[in-house]
Amino acid sequence: MAVTWRAVVLSALGLPVVLLVPAGGTVLLWTLLVVVACVVDVALAASPRQVAIRREVPASVRLTEPATSTLTLTNRSTRRLRALVRDAWPPSTGAQSDRHRVDVRPGDGARVRTVLVPTRRGDAHADRVTIRALGPLGLAGRQASLTVPGRLRVLPEFASRRHLPSRLARLRELDGRASVQVRGPGTEFDSLREYVIGDDVRAIDWRATARRSDVVVRTWRPERDRRVLIVLDSGRTSAVRVLDAPRLDASIEAALLLAALATKAGDRVELLVFDRRVRGRVASATGARVMAAFADTLALVEPELVETDWPGVVAQVRQRLSQRALVVLLTALDPSAVEQGLLGVAAQLTDRHQVVLASVSDPEVDALRTARTGAAAVFDAAAAERVGLERAAVAVRLRQRGAEVVDALPDDLAPRLADTYIALKAAGRL
Amino acid sequence: MSTPVVTVHDAVVGDGTSTRSRSARRWRRARLPLALLALVVVAGILSALPEPRTSTLTLAPDNPGDLGARAAAQILGREGVDVRYVRRIADVQALAVPGSTVLVVGDYLLTDEQVDALGATEADLVLVDAGWALGVLTPALASSGEYDAAPDVRTAQCDDPDAVAAGTITASGGLLGIGPGAVVCFPAPGTTTDQGGSYAVVESDGRRVVAVSDMAPFTNEHLAEQGNAALVLRALGRHERLVWYIPSLDDVGAGGGTEPAPGELLPPVVTILALQLLLVVVVTALWRGRRLGRLVTERLPVVVRAGETTRGRGRLYRRGRSYGHAAAALRAGTAARSAGRLGLPRSAAAPLVVDAISRATGRRAADVEALLYGPPPTDDRGLAQLARDLDHLESEVHRP
Repeated sequence: MAVTWRAVVLSALGLPVVLLVPAGGTVLLWTLLVVVACVVDVALAASPRQVAIRREVPASVRLTEPATSTLTLTNRSTRRLRALVRDAWPPSTGAQSDRHRVDVRPGDGARVRTVLVPTRRGDAHADRVTIRALGPLGLAGRQASLTVPGRLRVLPEFASRRHLPSRLARLRELDGRASVQVRGPGTEFDSLREYVIGDDVRAIDWRATARRSDVVVRTWRPERDRRVLIVLDSGRTSAVRVLDAPRLDASIEAALLLAALATKAGDRVELLVFDRRVRGRVASATGARVMAAFADTLALVEPELVETDWPGVVAQVRQRLSQRALVVLLTALDPSAVEQGLLGVAAQLTDRHQVVLASVSDPEVDALRTARTGAAAVFDAAAAERVGLERAAVAVRLRQRGAEVVDALPDDLAPRLADTYIALKAAGRL
Repeated sequence: MSTPVVTVHDAVVGDGTSTRSRSARRWRRARLPLALLALVVVAGILSALPEPRTSTLTLAPDNPGDLGARAAAQILGREGVDVRYVRRIADVQALAVPGSTVLVVGDYLLTDEQVDALGATEADLVLVDAGWALGVLTPALASSGEYDAAPDVRTAQCDDPDAVAAGTITASGGLLGIGPGAVVCFPAPGTTTDQGGSYAVVESDGRRVVAVSDMAPFTNEHLAEQGNAALVLRALGRHERLVWYIPSLDDVGAGGGTEPAPGELLPPVVTILALQLLLVVVVTALWRGRRLGRLVTERLPVVVRAGETTRGRGRLYRRGRSYGHAAAALRAGTAARSAGRLGLPRSAAAPLVVDAISRATGRRAADVEALLYGPPPTDDRGLAQLARDLDHLESEVHRP
């Protein structure tokens, strides 16, 4: 039961009547009239519970890209359905206008579309669909909220994919497929081809040249089919906000770019999301399915407010990897957390694998470090300086244990990690 | 990305409820509040019903206390006297017809106009505890100005039939008969009526004015003593109607209804219009108050800024006044960055760093050493100065 603005107008129309016949009875009669008109209108309204609702919603959408939730309403009653329909979604799905007017004849159908522009990663579940069916007078109506299931998976934005073309170009240069041949990178024999001017003469394969009339050079390519394991730390340090997003989001961007790059480079990429237990994993996906699996898994990762179990991480890595691989730890270079956790077990990882630790640094600390406005700012600057020194010290200790450390601002982390990967590949250290 | 996969869910019809189940659920949900409401209403009605209203006003006919006069009013009522209790002079004027009695209790709150209005009525007057008003209403009587604290037993000593019937009363105070026709009774013990008494009667212009100097005989406490009851009942029960007037502070009207209440100034249609507007407001509230479906909630993430811990550390330094720690951090930062820029390893010893920086900047080695490894500052000003000096030094360091 709900009334509309028309009911208000109807009751306000009583004012001139009361002026004409100023008596208490007039008010009473007019009130009765309004009530009776509303009750009759409600009685004549179509039942919102005799509407068949079918929902169509994309299974997934990338963050900040629009998706459309479509409701198909079929009027199964014998009355005309004039209704206001609300397709309710959580606020972070950014529903532009979720209210729709429909006018459906008996047995007919109508379709309403709600455009969603999600602003938050993860699964968004549709709330109820509310139908307010108005009577023929439009004074009042019947209202029902119905549960129509719907789920929209919001994938990470992968804004760092704009760095992908340039990195792929550098990868191709390494690969010997680029028009400009650079000699040296890679140790794996690839193929023989004709000598062109500019090639290093040391690459000439004399035996093959003798067999043919042309001068033939050998080309190498970087190793392929290496394994890359990306370990994403979803513990408490990942919940911290840097600029306006959790540290985890920057790590996810870096993981996606690295996965895309490594897949293109022919390596096998796996993912492990871990804090005190496994929160998500991608293994044994190949080719085009890797990125889809990564996006799907990373969409649901949320920071947990627990301390990360680093011995547990090491156990997981050992279990998953039998041969030498690149292990990328996406975590925070938080001095106390690293000293308590990772530093103790880093050697167990580095003695078998190439380890890269990637961490998001905070531009706010840099701003604090250079602030000189007043005594409080100088103390803050001293604290920021101390934090920076401790981070540097921890990074040094990790490097001494054989790990590469990438410490970058949120927007730079993904390209820097990609560069590190390319550098390692070029150096044949994978 | 390829074309998006669209999930199509099965059609939903209704929510599995019927009109009956919904009304049953609503009734289940509403019955407890309704029962509580009914209980409150019933309790309110029951508590309001049995006891008639009472007051604590002195000599009010509905005051059952010691200073009240409910006893006298109830006896009079039982004897067939129509007792009307009023607080406004306008009501007195309306009710005081010839052949009725007006009891006026006290004259402190009366205005000149109100006393004149009392004099203008043709009803008999009984004035209790009246002072200046007495002289205005009848020139034959005046107050003696005596206000004894304790009432004493007095005998009539006059030939007024009411006084004679009463015999003795307990009263204090005095009234003087200064004009012709005044009969004064109940003088103080050991005096005569010429020196004043508690009770006086004057008959003039066909009306009878009775004055009693003390309100004690009327009170519930003293009504049963001596002949108080006889005197009071005879004085007040002379006519069929008794107007019991106790002046009130908020009644400033001189009578005659020249100043109507604010509500009476408005035309009667306004009240009706207000009622109709109330209907409009109620319907508007119903219109705006009904939400189209419930609010959708969302689990919000934790918001902890990364810089918080650093700031917290800065506050700790400041609260602890750890100039030494703060200065050491600033110096170490400058030294580490400068050394890095000059190509020294992180593990380089202090003299090596000082030497390199002094060569790069052209400053004297002693100055650089004092700046980087000197004594810590002892106050805010010193720390700020050190920070500025370090900034200058760092800005001068370039690769040699």
